[in-house]
Amino acid sequence: MTRQVLVENEPLVPAAALIAGSAIPVSRAAQPPALRVADLTKTFRSGFARRRLRGVEGVSFSVGRGEVFALLGHNGAGKTTTIGCLLDLVRPDRGEITLLGCDHRDRRARARIGYLPERPYFFDYLTGRELLEFYCDLLDVPRRERRDRVDGALRRVGMMPDAGRRLGKYSKGMLQRLGLAQALLGEPELLILDEPMSGLDPMGRREVRTLLQELKNQGCTIVLSSHIVPDVEQLADAVGILREGRLVLNERLGALADACAYRVRAAGCLGEAARCGLPPWALSGGGDTAAAQGPADLAAADTQQLRELLDACHAAGLPVLAVEPRRTGLEDLFLRTHEHGTVVHGGKA
Amino acid sequence: MTRRHVTALARGTFRETVRDRVFYLVAVFGFLMLASTAVLSPLTVGAQAKIVTDVGLAAMVLLGLLVVVFVGSGMVRKEMEKGTITTILAKPVGRREYLLGKYLGLSLTMAAMLAVMGGMFLLLTLMSPGAFSLRFVAAFYLTFLELAVINAVVVFFSTCVSPVLAAIFTLGVFVVGHLSQSIRDFGRLQEGPLMQHLTTVVYYLTPNLEIFNVRGAVVHGDVIGTPHLVLATLYGACWAALLLLLSGAVFSRRELRG
Repeated sequence: MTRQVLVENEPLVPAAALIAGSAIPVSRAAQPPALRVADLTKTFRSGFARRRLRGVEGVSFSVGRGEVFALLGHNGAGKTTTIGCLLDLVRPDRGEITLLGCDHRDRRARARIGYLPERPYFFDYLTGRELLEFYCDLLDVPRRERRDRVDGALRRVGMMPDAGRRLGKYSKGMLQRLGLAQALLGEPELLILDEPMSGLDPMGRREVRTLLQELKNQGCTIVLSSHIVPDVEQLADAVGILREGRLVLNERLGALADACAYRVRAAGCLGEAARCGLPPWALSGGGDTAAAQGPADLAAADTQQLRELLDACHAAGLPVLAVEPRRTGLEDLFLRTHEHGTVVHGGKA
Repeated sequence: MTRRHVTALARGTFRETVRDRVFYLVAVFGFLMLASTAVLSPLTVGAQAKIVTDVGLAAMVLLGLLVVVFVGSGMVRKEMEKGTITTILAKPVGRREYLLGKYLGLSLTMAAMLAVMGGMFLLLTLMSPGAFSLRFVAAFYLTFLELAVINAVVVFFSTCVSPVLAAIFTLGVFVVGHLSQSIRDFGRLQEGPLMQHLTTVVYYLTPNLEIFNVRGAVVHGDVIGTPHLVLATLYGACWAALLLLLSGAVFSRRELRG
């Protein structure tokens, strides 16, 4: 099978030229990854008794240039701690972080990064434009370019009409957009976004998704944390699921989409199907074999099982009414990893 | 340390504090001055100018102290709790640059506030016969130095404790700082070595703020010499630098959660 991947400003490249199913052309893949995290561990001390609280433990992953990597997890799973460590806001106990080829503590790397916190809060008494000018100074943007940069960022997030208003009068969604504007000011190579869709209405979410897609197409690497699975599914190339500070899954979304199960609907009730000697694993999709009436819903985990099941139905004289492929959605996987709580690799719990 | 970063942070802090109704306190100052002139003058025949001067200079220090303590104690902590600091430090900005910018921004606010209060004060003294003196300018300058030291104290505490504790500790340093010479003298009069050592430690651990207090000299028309001004400047600068270095050391070890 030949897959082709479109990367803006670059010709179509065959899948063979891609590394391990990644949407990175060879030219980009030859570069070091945009982000590499190895064995990241952080424990916090809390309360008078200095009780130990695990932030993250042994987290390792890497993000190639131009990729979108999503960190998924419940509240308190360790997403924000991981992001804090990347930006040197939180000091890890152990581990190594490389950002754009530099150590994460190197300030030069931070000039090439844009960051949006989970709940952006800025100075209430500055206007939107003043705030972005302030960040331009912190990014050492040349003064002659400052106005254009600020206007560009405001336009990109649709905040131009409100640029002259004080931030204290902004809604949560407007602050989120302005937060995104300040993250884009330095024309970053790597964007780190903590819950970028939080606080946005459906329209705003769609606009931000479109903007992130544009940035991705322009070659910007994006690391985002979220618990809104459909947004992640639409944007991300790879996903890491954190549970209680541990990375329980680190998988490419392409590989997840390839993992497919099937539902087979056969004439006759489940009891009849059971008596016909169908494999026991096939009966797991239809409920109670004694009570179920009507057509039998049978399950096959992969194409090999599907073949065996169809043969068994044929041999038992059960007419097959329908075969329905069922993709393992990211949401299913997310819920499964949290129910099982075990380390999962390759998309299989 | 990049000058542009520090300047941007100082300017941002100045704008924020000035727009945060801090200057309403200047109106309080004007009211206090007018009230002292109107109420106390008839009671102090022949000493009207002294009353205006004394009340005016004391009000400047106290109102300045209020601003420094209540704005400064929450300044860094508020940004830490609300997460503003994370977007700043995620840029190529060092933590020491951040603290210095905040310190200079609040000092600039103080300087502007003192300038406005000083202007109002001079206007009132011009209206009181025999009250005006150029020594007032020296007194304003020393008041600014004192508040700059207190500002460094509050920045130090705001990096390590909660805003309420930072405000209480800073007010404590202000009181002890004005009494430190008396505390040391008291210790010398004690017979036990423990008390003597304790008072000496307190003396050296707190800035001697009386060095900046020239209200008595100004009211009584004494000369404030240049050597005193130079010494006070060096003394204030050393204390502010030491406190900012300590603050930087504490702050660079802090965990900042997004």
